Amino acid sequence: MDQRKEEIVESTGPEVDTNIDQGFDKMPRRFQRRRPRQVVPDYVDWKDVDFLKRFIPERGKIMPRRISGVSAKDQRRIAKAIKRARTMALLPFVAD
Amino acid sequence: MKLESRKEEKKLANRTYELMYIAPPETSDEEIGKLNESIETVIVEGGGAIVKTEVIGRKALAYPIRKKNEGVYVLFEIAGSGQEIAELERRLRVNELVMRFITVRVDEDRKVADKALEKREKRSARKGPGVAAPIEQ
Repeated sequence: MDQRKEEIVESTGPEVDTNIDQGFDKMPRRFQRRRPRQVVPDYVDWKDVDFLKRFIPERGKIMPRRISGVSAKDQRRIAKAIKRARTMALLPFVAD
Repeated sequence: MKLESRKEEKKLANRTYELMYIAPPETSDEEIGKLNESIETVIVEGGGAIVKTEVIGRKALAYPIRKKNEGVYVLFEIAGSGQEIAELERRLRVNELVMRFITVRVDEDRKVADKALEKREKRSARKGPGVAAPIEQ
């Protein structure tokens, strides 16, 4: 019994490790998380495309808070501003 | 009494709006000027006032609108009660020269921003010297 258990542990152990390694190689997501807080102005202007672009990755989506590290309040204002800018074709809905 | 006056105050509230519209790229300056004048008359007749007019000019669109990849951007800032904005929106919606428009109420958000700034300034004025000292050491 004891021997079997050890075997199982040994066999599963390395597998898990390699998976984690591969994951890190492909997308080192963990290192990007929670960047130092961005400076968000008190009034987020929907016409300020250069500022809003900082929160738009290549694909054109709105960057999630967990990556940009902004406060919930700021995220709401930024999201709203981005949506307004999108309706006026200042920013794309989808970028390819 | 108090409630009524407050309600009236709200009705007459001085609001600030931003209006932006996009005209087709081939629109002449004259046509833009005419359209801007007609917008102004609608606003003034409704009891509002135009604070700022800015013809931003030709700009590339982020995605095609009416099969056009460019557009002439015009920005207004309007002070008023909100009634004239409703009327203006109705007219812009049927105007052929307006490919897209948006009206945004900005006074409230700006007020909030000003308050936040004021608060921060007060705090920094109070705490400023106290915080600065330990950093120097």
